[in-house]
Amino acid sequence: MISDREERGEPVHAFTRAFSSGTLVGVPSGPTVPRIALGTQLRRLREASNLTTAQAAETIRATHSKISRLERGRTAARPRDVADLLSLYGVTDEAEREKLLALTRSASTPGWWQQYSDILPRWLELYIGLEKGASVIRTYEVQFVHGLMQTEDYARAVILISKANASAEEVERRVSLRMQRQQLLTQPSAPDLWAVLDEAALCRSPDGPDVMRAQLRHMLLLTDLPNVTLQIVPFDVGSHAAAGGPFTILRFPEPDLPDVVYLEQLNSAVYIDQPDDVTDYMTVMDRLCIQAATGAASKDKLSGLLRQI
Amino acid sequence: MTDNSRAQNAPKLDPNVPHSARVWNYWLGGKDHYPADRMVGDQVMAMFPDITRLARADRAFLGRAVRYLAGEAGIRQFLDVGTGLPTANNTHEVAQAMAPESRIVYVDNDPLVLVHARALLTSTPEGACDYIDADLRDTGKILTQAAKTLDFSRPVALMMLGIVGQIPDSDHPESVIGQLLSVMASGSYLALSDGVNTSETFTEAVQHYNENSANTYHPRSPEQLTGFFDGLELVEPGVVELGRWRSEATVFPDAGEVPGMGGVGRKP
Repeated sequence: MISDREERGEPVHAFTRAFSSGTLVGVPSGPTVPRIALGTQLRRLREASNLTTAQAAETIRATHSKISRLERGRTAARPRDVADLLSLYGVTDEAEREKLLALTRSASTPGWWQQYSDILPRWLELYIGLEKGASVIRTYEVQFVHGLMQTEDYARAVILISKANASAEEVERRVSLRMQRQQLLTQPSAPDLWAVLDEAALCRSPDGPDVMRAQLRHMLLLTDLPNVTLQIVPFDVGSHAAAGGPFTILRFPEPDLPDVVYLEQLNSAVYIDQPDDVTDYMTVMDRLCIQAATGAASKDKLSGLLRQI
Repeated sequence: MTDNSRAQNAPKLDPNVPHSARVWNYWLGGKDHYPADRMVGDQVMAMFPDITRLARADRAFLGRAVRYLAGEAGIRQFLDVGTGLPTANNTHEVAQAMAPESRIVYVDNDPLVLVHARALLTSTPEGACDYIDADLRDTGKILTQAAKTLDFSRPVALMMLGIVGQIPDSDHPESVIGQLLSVMASGSYLALSDGVNTSETFTEAVQHYNENSANTYHPRSPEQLTGFFDGLELVEPGVVELGRWRSEATVFPDAGEVPGMGGVGRKP
């Protein structure tokens, strides 16, 4: 499907190339963003040298389809192969070579989440890999507080709603996966989390008032972090910009990687990186942020709710 | 506020009309722009390919000016008027990297810029950042609100980067600057940069931009730009081409001058 588009000469973007319009064919586990970023750069360098994938393949004693998989970010690269390719493409500047070799190394380090492969479907595993590589995570949630902001008890209650028949052990592993994901927010060079939340989510506890009170207090603490912003969409805004459901926009620090929109469904997910489609979601998100209460006013709102329940 | 007033009064975001902050973000290599912004951005680039170098040179000037102010000049308070969309090396990041206790007030009148600034231009725990929704001509509102974060009895750096071009001569940019500086203590600074009308192709490209976007831009002569520093002591090397102001060692070859100038002046 993707090669059809490429054959028609239409632009194909880094993520689409990597995971075929959200169908995730052949996406290996592990660090997603460095791999796609490396592939995108290798492709750019090869094209700038006017070389074919077959010519590049010869240099590293591989097939042209391996080069193609590398450039799509579907497979991890060996540092020696990348070094040989860089020489072939005329990249001699030591600093530039080291930058790409460092990217190669980080692309082959297994992700922490791989220990959860028993409970982690591929469509969600990809999201966690992308989230880890993001510099800004913008979310809009309607029914529940975003996973990165949930307390352990709130998370357990939400997981039980959709996994009512799961064993206690599986539920705890899911809770623990979600808690481990949250470490992202406090690690060095943490991404910005910019969350927009409908007031309705704050009025409907998944498990009684105690869980909600603790959740509200947790959000107040989280929003003290300089990299976390929460904007509540109050009921008095009336009908607002987000006509659809919840969505997330991930932005990456690499200049040549586009934003990705993530739409989670009951048991699958859709990933969007075509610029026109991403723009539609970005417009809705920007409008929502303008309509929603500011971060400071939202904190007041949380404190107010905390006194009421 | 009544129940529906917030929705009705919500500031408008029109993605179909090019807007200066988003077009500038496009030229800087950012990712916060819509198709209409890219279209006019590309048209200007076709007429004046150096526009992206001008945008980057202005950004680099901001970094060097803030490093000078937070370093050699010892400034810990910044009033940044005409913030624009967040990108790399924003004023507070540069200042707080040198002095974490630095206090920065960002001023802009664009609702999109303000929400992005509030979410992404956030302070170190030691310092402070605040955000004011005001037109730069509304100096009374700017000064009253900035006083909540800045102590005007101590020196402040007034940052006006690529912003005076947004107001025509008929709105008297020199008196806007004068009013803002008038309340500032001795030892305060003005850092100002803008496009200049020394390049015919640049001026033509600006005219095309003005006919096709929500905002208009008015590049002035180098003499007019220098005139904005009247009454101030200019820091060496004066008001010069952006790349020449205290340029730091760079690995990139000099790609030539851009039609943009900047300078830093001290209030005696």
